[in-house]
Amino acid sequence: MKLTSEKQMNKFHLGISLGLLLLVGLICFLTGRSFLSLHQEEPIFPSAGLTRQFRLSHYLPNLSHTPGDTRVYLFEGQEKGGNILILGGTHPNEPAGFIATVVLIENLKVKKGRIFLIPQANLSGFTHNDPFEANPQRFFLPARQGIRWFRYGSRLTNPVHQWPDPTTYTNPAGQKLAGTESRNLNRAYPGQPKGSLTEKVAWAIIQLIKSENIHLAIDLHEAAPEYPVINAMVFHERAAELAAMALMDLQMEGFDFRLEASPPNLRGLSHREWGDNTSALAVLLETANASHGRLKGKPSVALIVEGRDNNYVRAAKLGRLFVPYDERGIPLSRRVARHLAAVKTLASYLGELFPHQKVEFSDYPSPQELLQQGFQPFLHSPRQER
Amino acid sequence: MPDYLPLLLMILAFFILAMGFKIQIGLALALSSLLGALVSGHGLALRHLIEGGFGYLETILIIATAMIFMKSLQKSGMLDAFAALLLRSFHRHRLLLLFSMMVLAMFPGMITGSSTTAVLTTGALAAPVLMKMGLNHLKTAAFIAMAGILGMIAPPVNILVMIMGAGVDMPYVGLTLPLLAIVIPLAIIFTLWIGSRGVKSLKQSELEEIIASLPVSDSGWRLYLPLILVVVLLILQSTSFPLVSQLGLPLIFLGGALFTWGLHWKKLNFFLLTQEALEEALPILSILVGVGMFIQIMTLTGGRGWTVLAFLSLPPALLYLGIAISMPLFGAVSAFGSASILGVPFILALINTNAILTSSALSAIAGLGDLMPPTALAGMFAAQVVGEKNYFRVLRYCLIPALFELIFALGFLLGGPFLDKIF
Amino acid sequence: MRIIYQLILLWLSLNLILYLFREKRFSYQLSAALVLILFLLRLLLIK
Repeated sequence: MKLTSEKQMNKFHLGISLGLLLLVGLICFLTGRSFLSLHQEEPIFPSAGLTRQFRLSHYLPNLSHTPGDTRVYLFEGQEKGGNILILGGTHPNEPAGFIATVVLIENLKVKKGRIFLIPQANLSGFTHNDPFEANPQRFFLPARQGIRWFRYGSRLTNPVHQWPDPTTYTNPAGQKLAGTESRNLNRAYPGQPKGSLTEKVAWAIIQLIKSENIHLAIDLHEAAPEYPVINAMVFHERAAELAAMALMDLQMEGFDFRLEASPPNLRGLSHREWGDNTSALAVLLETANASHGRLKGKPSVALIVEGRDNNYVRAAKLGRLFVPYDERGIPLSRRVARHLAAVKTLASYLGELFPHQKVEFSDYPSPQELLQQGFQPFLHSPRQER
Repeated sequence: MPDYLPLLLMILAFFILAMGFKIQIGLALALSSLLGALVSGHGLALRHLIEGGFGYLETILIIATAMIFMKSLQKSGMLDAFAALLLRSFHRHRLLLLFSMMVLAMFPGMITGSSTTAVLTTGALAAPVLMKMGLNHLKTAAFIAMAGILGMIAPPVNILVMIMGAGVDMPYVGLTLPLLAIVIPLAIIFTLWIGSRGVKSLKQSELEEIIASLPVSDSGWRLYLPLILVVVLLILQSTSFPLVSQLGLPLIFLGGALFTWGLHWKKLNFFLLTQEALEEALPILSILVGVGMFIQIMTLTGGRGWTVLAFLSLPPALLYLGIAISMPLFGAVSAFGSASILGVPFILALINTNAILTSSALSAIAGLGDLMPPTALAGMFAAQVVGEKNYFRVLRYCLIPALFELIFALGFLLGGPFLDKIF
Repeated sequence: MRIIYQLILLWLSLNLILYLFREKRFSYQLSAALVLILFLLRLLLIK
């Protein structure tokens, strides 16, 4: 009698254990499906002006078929002129840079010179979200017809693609950093051809700048409104004159920028290492993104796109911010417009300073129009074939 | 619904579940996070719950493997043999022995930046020595917990400062002196306060009797090889030695455990060792998962931003008080989280001061977070090392040293403009 | 290095599953399940 009850107990326990294991499997399946869905790339519809589209592994063959092998879009004019590289998506949680390059790719035509566009510099970073930040996986923008979706990723390379992190990371430029920064593309320059995935991507970008003889290289970013280097145009010392000239024009257009010289002791960042290791003039642009600050309220698609947050309004009143911030917030359209205006001005002054490096283009998306009408006129409808 | 309401409900639910129903802390955290997601209209929010847990995956791996390593050392008889050896050699110089125990217990923290690593490796080594010297087991645990925290703050590797530095673009350069200026006085004071006062109860003759009764190990130096290997690897990886710098702590610890097993494979069963280590580590592992879920839902519902802003809204005079309260308190979540979420805004709020001195002082305050329940990593593992089930009893003895560290660091923060001229 | 870490996770996961079946206390089983979810998702390189 006792024996059977013991047997029953054992059966009961086995059932519970199996049930729990099944539950574990079910949760893994459900969440895993959600996590894996981020590996699907959003479509980008280039304008008729596109000359060629290829992958970054063109400059570093061992990057091919890796999660870092991102798309490069080349717009080439009939005439020879200057060469410009524009990078978005170095940090996939800073969408203004990514969207600014997408808007350019979908509208631009180049008459003279060449423009290289990389919308998702750290492609791997788009495939996951940062723990604790509770950000949405995707955000949505109105297109000419319908709605387009874009991924909101992480500042860092996906650990699934580069794992484990060292305890402390000494980057290729010799700077010692916290271990997680080993997955930060904007700390990995000038990169290493046989290094980690992030370092390979950095190396390939440097090779692009060198082998395509890039004259001006621009890295598009965003920062939290409480971060001091904000609304900034960070320039390498060789780009000082160019940046100063562009700044005056931009301020007249109503875009508030402040100039920041690239600190010589902060190594591994694009503006420092591009400038030191190649002949390109290097500039990094920042805007203020409330959705990746530490003070943000509820994270949401609206916060990313409309950029309105009551916490930041209060913080601004307390004098804790480095940008003006009020109830109207800083919407994505405004942040992208800033980037577009700065890129255009920098490009035109490149031609004035060095006439043989002139770049001419048409159908450049107008920053003022973007401010007034939003993204709708500038994004192709989702089903449209090129 | 105001942003703080779900957070308030989550905290309330946690206390009811953990204190009222005596549910395991990790589970209570997970359940209250689930509740927070539900009441704020996010449904089950499975993606967010699991994603939050992943914030601690690396820490979980370090702890799990460090526990396996420590178990292997314990079972091989190394911990007891080492205690006997040290006591035989140095028992006539108690103070010297105490100070060397402090440095020994700090050391892994200094090179890994993690208090857990310190407590679970050389902390476990120092504990039997201290207890044989007459320190009761609770004070022993407090001693190695505080040593772990000091080790975490001490140079060359202070991950808290690195995290804060990353948030304000400050390179990790020129921190050795300021960090030593904080750590050395505290190490001396803690040794005297917890150690020296505690060991006086034992007479020299009694101590000698204890030493005479200790077993003499016959395995010799082979016993120490695994620990030497692990320590050498830990040092090499902190100097960015090629290849070794890629290993990571979990591999170093598991490698050390496997090595121990290889040396004593007749005596040790690696499978049983792992089971035992996991069983002991599981409560803390699940707490880490639960805390990760809790922060993610706290952010999701707007509670995190509300909390940070509330502290930043304090008037300047109260800002320092805010730092003193919020940073250790948030450390309940994790000292690293505290450095990132609060440390960075605080440095920005104190933007007129020298960022190197400020971040050094803030790291000493954030480090105390490893004593804050429910996680209390340093306290919990120290309790485990000495075989105490209730880690709150250990924390009681940490209270005064911790308060002292807090006041000292605040003084460092306030004296920043003056100290600026020295460093 | 990634494969070595996957092996570490495999070892820990197998041990956790076994623990899940050996352990009689339900709350401890649940704790193990919680940790196991993370281990499996990383082991399979999903998250």
